[in-house]
Amino acid sequence: MDHYPALIVIAPLLAALLAGLAVWIKERLSYSIALMGLGISTFSAFKVLMQVINFGTIQYKMAGWAPPMGIEYRIDLLNAMVLLLISSIAFLNLLASCKSVTQETSDRAGSFYTIYLLFVTGLLGVSATGDLFNLYVLIEITSLTSYAMVALGDRNRGPLASLNYVFIGVIGASFYLLGVGYLYLKTGSLNMVDVANILSGIQGSSTVLVAFILIMIGIWIKMALFPMHIWLPNAYSYSPVAFARVVAPLMTKVMVYVMIRLMITVFGFDYIFETLNLSDAVVWLGTIAILAGAVMALSQTNLKKMLTYIIVCEIGYMVGGAWLGNELGMTGAILHIFNDALMTFALFLAVGNMVYKLKTVELTDLKGLFGKMPWTMAGFVLAAFSIIGVPPTCGFFSKWYLILGAFEAGAYHFAAALIISSLICAVLFFKVFEICFFESMAHGHGDSHPPVEIREAPISMLIVSGFVSLSLIIVGLYSGTIVNTIILPFLK
Amino acid sequence: MKFLGFIVVCLTGTLLLYGTGEFPDWGDPDSPASIHLSNYYIEKAVEETQVPNLVTAVLADYRGFDTMFETAVVFCAGLACFLLLRDFREKKERFYRHTPTRVILHVKDSKKVLKTGKEFEHMDKDWVPSDLIIRTVCRILIPFIQIYALYVVAHGDFSPGGGFQGGVIFGSSLILLAISYDLKTLVRRIKEKVLGIYAALGVLIYVGIGAICMAMGGNFLDYSKLVPIVPGDPHHIRALGMLGVEIGVGIAVTAAMVIIYINIVSEGKHDEGL
Repeated sequence: MDHYPALIVIAPLLAALLAGLAVWIKERLSYSIALMGLGISTFSAFKVLMQVINFGTIQYKMAGWAPPMGIEYRIDLLNAMVLLLISSIAFLNLLASCKSVTQETSDRAGSFYTIYLLFVTGLLGVSATGDLFNLYVLIEITSLTSYAMVALGDRNRGPLASLNYVFIGVIGASFYLLGVGYLYLKTGSLNMVDVANILSGIQGSSTVLVAFILIMIGIWIKMALFPMHIWLPNAYSYSPVAFARVVAPLMTKVMVYVMIRLMITVFGFDYIFETLNLSDAVVWLGTIAILAGAVMALSQTNLKKMLTYIIVCEIGYMVGGAWLGNELGMTGAILHIFNDALMTFALFLAVGNMVYKLKTVELTDLKGLFGKMPWTMAGFVLAAFSIIGVPPTCGFFSKWYLILGAFEAGAYHFAAALIISSLICAVLFFKVFEICFFESMAHGHGDSHPPVEIREAPISMLIVSGFVSLSLIIVGLYSGTIVNTIILPFLK
Repeated sequence: MKFLGFIVVCLTGTLLLYGTGEFPDWGDPDSPASIHLSNYYIEKAVEETQVPNLVTAVLADYRGFDTMFETAVVFCAGLACFLLLRDFREKKERFYRHTPTRVILHVKDSKKVLKTGKEFEHMDKDWVPSDLIIRTVCRILIPFIQIYALYVVAHGDFSPGGGFQGGVIFGSSLILLAISYDLKTLVRRIKEKVLGIYAALGVLIYVGIGAICMAMGGNFLDYSKLVPIVPGDPHHIRALGMLGVEIGVGIAVTAAMVIIYINIVSEGKHDEGL
């Protein structure tokens, strides 16, 4: 059956609509529908990845029209990897989320799953498509659903965070759309490959340059690159846990994927690095993002907020790596998309377990947590080691490629920023470990109340959390295989 | 901060102006946008799809996949309004109207609930009696607006129109009912549940048609594969497929419009006023 590329996106979309129907008929069904939709999607993504590795790029013509006229899905090694990453993370998170959704949004769980599925559909569509405008429509779906979700979380501060997110997100989307409009004026086409062919003849055009700048700024706003990051920390830390766990690892990473896709497939390295020679400036942006993200994370007293600033820092790694302009840097950036999604997911799963039991995760709430939730903390420690970049975990390997790439490009400031931010992350996480391990659990008011008993999170959440944390080591050990079978053949 | 904003605005403006430098001339027949793909659509679309309206052909067939997601965006907006605004909490105090005498009862104890039916009906603080002239005019207008909406949906293949426009017109006729009478009249006629089901069902019709094409062996949304199960002239199969998806769009847009309206104006309480 050769419809797997479409099925990856269509299965969760159909499931979203059926779950939307189930809200009104039998609300409990919506969870199983969602699981089924994402299960099919993950399976199809796996099949597609295998096909792409064995037989090369897959083209899927929507409605049967040939590419420049119709919309095509064009799946090569990079998309196939990102698609599998998105669908499996969304599926695993759904497995772990049943209890926390019931806890946080009990009276509208069905609608929650509907929006959740639409969000995942959007991300999958963004990664699968080979059409510039289709990309915009799907970015719109992911954004709209995440605005709704953020407002649904913390009912006091969520709506304001969401409003900020709406304003900035809409500006980002309009920049992207305007850029696509400029490109259409000069090329008359929306298909990425077709546009790339036409662009290679008109590289000197000022309209194309402006289109390029607009598109890149739009995407940077959406991925929260440093000065454009202000929407992210509040939006992610006030959204419902079940959603934060999927948006934090995926949304920004998918936008990094979009940036890399546009750089490689549409504009081409020759245009970016030789005609425009922008490498240095953007690597500096990445460097600043890394340092600023790390320093801001250091000043946080809430665990969720701290992690969101680490995301800002990680975005700097990937942007800088992709713009180094050499193969090692790009390899590092692509590998880091994969690794960073996994480790952020592992961190947020552990934090989700804590939130389920503790309600708030100010650093002072975490005292004595190693004793109370040993399994959750084990997962947290592994994920933290990976973010710091301790060798057998996957975080180490992508950082290694990034540093090698930085040396090859002579961007020593970028390498220095990478090492400094790793040290800051180490300081940060050991501060958390210290609180969780050495400081004993706070006792209740006076001695009359016994200390509050906190036991482990539900087993479903623990299993997923443990599985993802262990996968960090496994992926780390197989980094060589991933680089050799997927990333290097893609870059050739 | 204001100054910084001013600088950013100036920079963006300069950038946009700089970009216009190499724009093709206004209405230039040789501009890339009018020679690359447009020619293909103009020459082939009618022949390939049997739909005389080229805009519809591009929108619902060549780029039908985009339109499907745009319908999903509308659905998503409706759902987001419901999700965020709908207030399921019990009201603290209630108002009832004794229908024959129009006397209003104010019940402050939230536990005491009057049975509503022929004698008493629910109402709320914001209720204002609606005007006879407005009511009568709207009552006459609404059916015509709805007929016109159906025409716009059905005639999208031949003239400007289609599911989005028709759906908006139909939705506005229902909103007119809510404005000229009151919100409760509308909610009584079309239950919230029905609206929710229609919104999802509309998009489901679109995606479902696409999925059926896939099940019949074609690519997703390839209407030509529907020939064995759709009666009628097989030459017009693409036009019929488009009509099908347009109907789905119309239903989804109508329902989403009304959901957004009733949740925003009543702050999710679905009161009688407004």
